[in-house]
Amino acid sequence: MSTHLVVEELSFRYENTEKILHDVHFTLEKGTFVGIIGPNGSGKSTLLHLLSGILPLQEGRILLSGKDLRQCSRLEWAQRVAIVFQEIPLQVNLPCLEVVTMGRFPHLRKWRREKREDEKAVEWAMEVTQTSLFAERDFSELSGGEKQRVMIARALAQQPELLLLDEPTSHLDILHQLEVMRILQALREQGITILGVFHDVNTVAQFCEQVLFLRRGTVLGFGPVERVMTGERLTELLEVEFLESTHPLSLRPFFMPLEVRKKPPRGVQVHLICGGGRGIPYMRKLLEEGFTLSVGIVNQLDSDEEFATRLKLPVVREAPFSPFGEGALQRAREIARGAHFVLVIPTYWGWGNLLNLELARILLQEGKKVLLFRESLNPEFDYTGGEAMRRLRELEEQGVGVIDELDDFFSMVPGALH
Amino acid sequence: MLLGLTVCGAFLSMWFATGVGEGRYRLQDSLSLFSSTSLSSTEYTILFKIRLPRVVLSFLVGGGLAVCGAALQGIFQNPLVDPYVLGVSSGAALGAVIAILSGVYLGLLTVPLFAFLFATLTSFLVLRLSVVGKKIPLEVLLLAGIAVGFFLSAFISLGMFIAGENLHQVVFWTMGGFWGRGWLEVKMVLPFLSGGLLVLSLFTRELNTFLLGEKVSRSLGVDVERVKKWLMLAVSLVVASCVSVSGIIGFVGLLVPHILRLFGYQDHRFLLPLSFLSGGVVLLLADTLARTVLHPVELPVGIVTSILGSPFFIYLLRKKKREL
Repeated sequence: MSTHLVVEELSFRYENTEKILHDVHFTLEKGTFVGIIGPNGSGKSTLLHLLSGILPLQEGRILLSGKDLRQCSRLEWAQRVAIVFQEIPLQVNLPCLEVVTMGRFPHLRKWRREKREDEKAVEWAMEVTQTSLFAERDFSELSGGEKQRVMIARALAQQPELLLLDEPTSHLDILHQLEVMRILQALREQGITILGVFHDVNTVAQFCEQVLFLRRGTVLGFGPVERVMTGERLTELLEVEFLESTHPLSLRPFFMPLEVRKKPPRGVQVHLICGGGRGIPYMRKLLEEGFTLSVGIVNQLDSDEEFATRLKLPVVREAPFSPFGEGALQRAREIARGAHFVLVIPTYWGWGNLLNLELARILLQEGKKVLLFRESLNPEFDYTGGEAMRRLRELEEQGVGVIDELDDFFSMVPGALH
Repeated sequence: MLLGLTVCGAFLSMWFATGVGEGRYRLQDSLSLFSSTSLSSTEYTILFKIRLPRVVLSFLVGGGLAVCGAALQGIFQNPLVDPYVLGVSSGAALGAVIAILSGVYLGLLTVPLFAFLFATLTSFLVLRLSVVGKKIPLEVLLLAGIAVGFFLSAFISLGMFIAGENLHQVVFWTMGGFWGRGWLEVKMVLPFLSGGLLVLSLFTRELNTFLLGEKVSRSLGVDVERVKKWLMLAVSLVVASCVSVSGIIGFVGLLVPHILRLFGYQDHRFLLPLSFLSGGVVLLLADTLARTVLHPVELPVGIVTSILGSPFFIYLLRKKKREL
């Protein structure tokens, strides 16, 4: 692989603003597909605009195949670098063929008509983007996805070595997004280096080979997607918590924003006794309301356990598919020591998790406020032949609070929510 | 093909317009343009010294205004821009008023010369005022044009107020018309027009790329600001020269390119020549109408174009609104 694009010590500022780009440098090899990710205002578009030559270079160097941007005329650079923008032009009533032919502008001399090689380049560009079908149709009649494909064809008609994309899929629905991304991926095989800004992290994870993180105008990370793109680094970059997993079909990394919008912590600790995945909505709601949580006892591989682990909550675990033991009970007492409230979430009761009711009893005796949902008293949930029900009623007699829904709990907390 | 048809149309209407008029000079007489032997000397004078130059001039002015309108609409990507957006009309009017009232006499072309001078100065002033950084934003240009226009209009009104017996001359001038114009005026317009057309024809591809937005245009290697500067320079000289010989004639520059666009001619390589030819034909026919419809009284052609143009403009506005 040969070095294709070299960016060195690139800095840029608009008039009367702070630096938008700060000492950006990276090197791309020929035929790579690189995605740029960064929060708004991180300088992504500015970087692309500098590379495309539509913004004047201030500090730093840009070399493409060894040729310096500063030593190229506008037209020379446009013969080698093309850019596709997010915006799709509105008032164009020309046939698509004419629109794509505009991409030949940097190759044409004044007064001269297009030559055979220009026509060939246009034909190729329209073939690759699958737009040949509507060559004669009016640009304004096309759908958004088709228009963007024509705009890509227009860029390709420039026969660029480097194709830049500034959020080209933002205005497109999911089907057309994928269509555009597939076209771009196919272009790599033609030896065209592609550098694109995409607002969707999974688009990058799925389609790009390399990723470049940009934050406040500096490169925060650059390298192969599999190595550089992790949930942790994305969280650091975008200030949104991401859960990393694997795309079930492509086996590439896949990220889910957790979107836990939290109220400021209210300094109230709640211990959750749950299991079987029933605790997940309660955890989410309580975290959103700013409570501090601990969870247990739960078996490993239980959905509640997995969810709590992902959220990095303190969890007391028992081995998979095993009845809870004395050790776990002690650890649970320990972890719940600072809790102001203990919530027993409605779940199924079997001999394996019966010890959780014992835990509730102990905590009640220790003077904690223990709350039970009325739903829990439903005998249908009892798979112990009445033992769980007996213990639940016992708890009720000993002074455990019984509530109908979580809102009831919120209204008893000091500094009530509603 | 279509260009050819329009060229034929242009010649046909010139021939028609030359033929129409006072007296016994009927259509077939203008055929004598090609064999002048059969004419008496009076007939010869009327055809060649009076009617033909007027026909040619109205064609050139109409074409010039329309092509400039098309170019400006292309530069600003706005179909509601007309050639007077640069404030040329009020500048020219002020120049004319000053020439008429001051009684300066520098030959037959005194009034047009003053008008041209002031028109050019005004458009440069407006352009200068609207430069922000290195760019010329449309809103700023429009506002600068309007502000300068109002300022100059005040002086025009003042001029009219103190004009006394010259008032009708001033008023006539601002209405726009071609009476009494001859080959001298044609000679005055021609160099600016041909120079301007040459410059415009150099930049048709660039104007096409503007359709895709300025960013795209820049990324294709177009030096956008330089192109705009040249185009505006050419446009202001052409419009100034047109206005200086004809007075203020509205709507040709706005209407003609817009109709062509409605018919689907967006490619400036066709739009500009088509605008020139059809703008010429439209103004030529309007002028023919103006001098024959109320015969023997002659209407200022500016009145004819405005009466026909304003309803169309309103229609455009309504249509535009519906699209929004």
